[in-house]
Amino acid sequence: MDLGYVTLQVFNGLVNGAFYALLSLGLAVIFGVLRVVNFAHGAFYMLGAFAAYLLGLDAGVGFWPAMLLAPLGVAVVGVVAERLLLRRVYRLDPLYGFLLTFGLTLVLQDAMRIRFGLQGQPYATPDQLGGSVSLGIVAYPAYRLFVIAFSLAVSLATWYVIERTRLGMVVRAAIERPDLTRALGIEVGRWVTGVFAFGVALAALSGVLAAPMRNVSPLMGSEAIILTFAVVVIGGLGSIAGAIVAGFAVGVLASLGAVVNPALENIVVFAVMAVVLLVRPAGLFGSIESA
Amino acid sequence: MNAGRAAGVIAAIGAIAAALVLPRLIYSVLALDILLWGLFAVSVDLLLGFAGLLSFGHAAFWGAGGYTAAIIAKQLSLPFPLAAAAGVVVAMALAVPLGYLAIRRRGIYFAMVTLAFAQMLFYVANEWRDLTGGENGVQGVPKLFPGLSVSRSIDFYYAALPLVLLGYVIAWRIVRSPFGHVLVAIRDNEPRAQALGYPVRRYKLVGFVLSAGIAGLAGSLYAIGHAFASLDLLHWTTSGQAVVMTVLGGIGTLWGSVLGAAVVLFLRDWLSGSFAEASGVVTGAILIVIVLAFRRGLMPALAVAGGLLVERGRRARVPSERGVPGS
Amino acid sequence: MRAIRIAAVVAAVALVAAACGGSGPGGGAAVKLTDGKLVIGVINDQSGVYADLSGKNAVEAVNMAIADFKAKYGDNALGGPIEVVNTDHQNKADLAGQKAQEFYERNNADVILDVPTSSAALAIAKVANDEKKLYINITAATTDLTGPQCNKYTFHYAYDTYMLAQGTGVWVTQNLGKKWYIIYPNYAFGQDMEKSFRAAVEKTGGNVIQSDGSPFPNQTGDFSNLLIKAGQLKPEILGAMQAGGDLVNVVKQYNQFKLKDQKITLAIGLLFDTDISALGPDAFAGVVYTTPWLWNMDDQSRAFADKFLQKTGIRPTFAHAGNYSAAWQYMDAVRRAGTDDADAVVKQLEGYSFSDFFIRNGKIRSEDHWVMHDALLAQVKPQSEVKEKFDYAKVLSTLKAEQVSRPLADAGCKK
Repeated sequence: MDLGYVTLQVFNGLVNGAFYALLSLGLAVIFGVLRVVNFAHGAFYMLGAFAAYLLGLDAGVGFWPAMLLAPLGVAVVGVVAERLLLRRVYRLDPLYGFLLTFGLTLVLQDAMRIRFGLQGQPYATPDQLGGSVSLGIVAYPAYRLFVIAFSLAVSLATWYVIERTRLGMVVRAAIERPDLTRALGIEVGRWVTGVFAFGVALAALSGVLAAPMRNVSPLMGSEAIILTFAVVVIGGLGSIAGAIVAGFAVGVLASLGAVVNPALENIVVFAVMAVVLLVRPAGLFGSIESA
Repeated sequence: MNAGRAAGVIAAIGAIAAALVLPRLIYSVLALDILLWGLFAVSVDLLLGFAGLLSFGHAAFWGAGGYTAAIIAKQLSLPFPLAAAAGVVVAMALAVPLGYLAIRRRGIYFAMVTLAFAQMLFYVANEWRDLTGGENGVQGVPKLFPGLSVSRSIDFYYAALPLVLLGYVIAWRIVRSPFGHVLVAIRDNEPRAQALGYPVRRYKLVGFVLSAGIAGLAGSLYAIGHAFASLDLLHWTTSGQAVVMTVLGGIGTLWGSVLGAAVVLFLRDWLSGSFAEASGVVTGAILIVIVLAFRRGLMPALAVAGGLLVERGRRARVPSERGVPGS
Repeated sequence: MRAIRIAAVVAAVALVAAACGGSGPGGGAAVKLTDGKLVIGVINDQSGVYADLSGKNAVEAVNMAIADFKAKYGDNALGGPIEVVNTDHQNKADLAGQKAQEFYERNNADVILDVPTSSAALAIAKVANDEKKLYINITAATTDLTGPQCNKYTFHYAYDTYMLAQGTGVWVTQNLGKKWYIIYPNYAFGQDMEKSFRAAVEKTGGNVIQSDGSPFPNQTGDFSNLLIKAGQLKPEILGAMQAGGDLVNVVKQYNQFKLKDQKITLAIGLLFDTDISALGPDAFAGVVYTTPWLWNMDDQSRAFADKFLQKTGIRPTFAHAGNYSAAWQYMDAVRRAGTDDADAVVKQLEGYSFSDFFIRNGKIRSEDHWVMHDALLAQVKPQSEVKEKFDYAKVLSTLKAEQVSRPLADAGCKK
């Protein structure tokens, strides 16, 4: 087996993993506080990419400002959705939140299809990252390396905030021991909108990151969200670290599967999920309680 | 009880009569779609309404049935009922391992796991080109039946109708059986059912496999009816569509799913002539409204309306029966 | 005196009648339509990767053909109104088949035109055969339509993979390099392109060292896996068989991964003007490709292109022009047949020889319904040589109809 090829695939896997990590991280944070599995997470990822694309097209805003502006804009959409829709189903079975956000996904995705068509729109790689970097044996596009590093940094920063700050303590408590938190009288409710907005912003940020690598298209979120669900089942929704580690690990495993046979790339993810369900149904980092 | 049975018989006769005249009233392909999507949605409701399990991956069984029936009908030139039977068998066989793994999780996780497994099947079908034709799909599936020509869509509708009705009857029998009652007991209070000595997991698995079989039957007939098995059969939006139909009709009402299917398909047909074909926007918006404001769905609303009529008629005839529980 | 006046009136009436009523044999034998109107269905991609190269503008081209046909033969030329119905098949074969059946059964469509995406085209050909109604394919390229899956009611207009391979595959192998790596979208079109190009390359003494499929539709637009592999295989020629939006992505990433610097030359199987618009001519400059038609190849083509530009704001691709031409030839066949009955129209089309602004030296082969005609070998100009908008290519040579038509013996068509 060609070592250069394997190296390239491992890095491709880390890039995919970077997206899984950011998406499942947002999903876990939202689930922890709202008890809603946000099906629309993929749609917000797609909206983030479109926001960057439209900012560039209509306002001449480049990639770097878009990294800040697009997540903010999409977070506003998220806040509206939370206030108008999600708020009404918190007291119900989580299945209703799932169905509600599924409906929201259909609406957002189809509305974008009607407006922009299914054909992907190109988005330029920022000039500073246009070249490639030598990894010793092979060269690798600089932008992709940036994606890995940036995602890792955001993941670690999020982890730090949640582990080390008071806000984080509440969120962590809510995620890891939801019943206990409520029993202790910690008011999770007032954090809800902010946490949802944060999770949505993370999804949108992933979308902006994806835009220069993949095309900006209305369906880009749908495949991402299902693979993210598989990652979440593997890692367990009950842990921030779990989301990050499972995200990167699954990305790399899938790419190594592609080395054996390209057809295996996506299938590997689900095979891993099946094994985890057999061996540790609650997920690698999950607690039975949140099952 | 007798009155109830009589009402049931009348409803059944009415439903069969409606099914018989449907393709005379509307485009026959649309009529068949309503019956088959209705059956598919019923299989989803069987799990969601009666076992409390939201399968968001039922396209796996609809698609497995569809591909199996299409390939068998095409390669072996078998009559369509046999091809459909093969589709049912494969869908159920597939449901055994998938169900075994999926029921290890509950609630929202169950939904995610089924969704993920269905997506895995989608990728497998896409890659296994020799068998499934990949993106090209299985085209030109013949509609065969010994001694009869059923290739026109309206003829196929009537030829397939007995099988479709059989599917509905089986779903109804399952719900009414002691087995169905245990499923409901598990849904309502799993620890209690366990404490009473029911092998909870086995019950769930059997329910899952039966539901998959019904979805497989619907998918088989759908693929043969459209002479085509494609990746869309396995797509997650297909699973989602069936869930929308079920929720719209009313979870746990069984027949509501057929109503939901009819509403969604009529809407889609009507929109397809319009400027934007905004079917996703419309179905998504319907789902949002139902979840927020109308969680019991259309069927109970209809039943209430119908019940008022029945009640009024009954009151006129036998006033003394008013207030009898269960009426 | 009176006799002369009567004669003049008769002559005038005859002239008007001839002008209005069409000029069929016998001077205006009325056309009888089976259901009082002629319905032309257009099924194509209106939202995906092939939306630009045909899409809504192809429907506009068909409308233009109808308007021009009426202007020439009179409003009632075909004995009733002529309607167009169209729909988006989203590049899904099953949806295309379903819509075709609906058009034939519910809308009483007499013919279906266009249909990019070969898998969708094959699905519609089957439906056409079952329903015994016409289907004239323009934008799908698979040779299977005139090969193993041919039928009495399906015709193949404009181009196919054999034509592209005989033009581009042969020229590139002779002039640029013999060692090919082919990448293709993994569905009917790409699979057929791979087959046709492989045959043409090997016939010319070249060698295909490997070929790989890419997913279709490619949601992510990411072809980096295949391009990384191309860098490792080091072929002389990278043969990209992707089309439309997919091709645009391949070319973009080919430039990003700097494969040209590694002496890997890009050959393109199918190129439309709209693809060149997407990235600008310099991204494609020097590329030699085969096309059935160019909008500025001569005056009559330019005349059509000017009218088309007025209506749509863009210059026509060969798919747009092909839809116009095919709609026209279909209507003319109905006029000659005096009916829209499918069997009678098929009889009119089979063996028919013609030329128009789009088809040169055209002949419809009765055996497999391939519409033989000349094609062009063209080269993309650099931006510096572009004189006006959409003026992207110059003609290198004309490829004769016989040269770019698959020999009947190889077709394997049994109608």
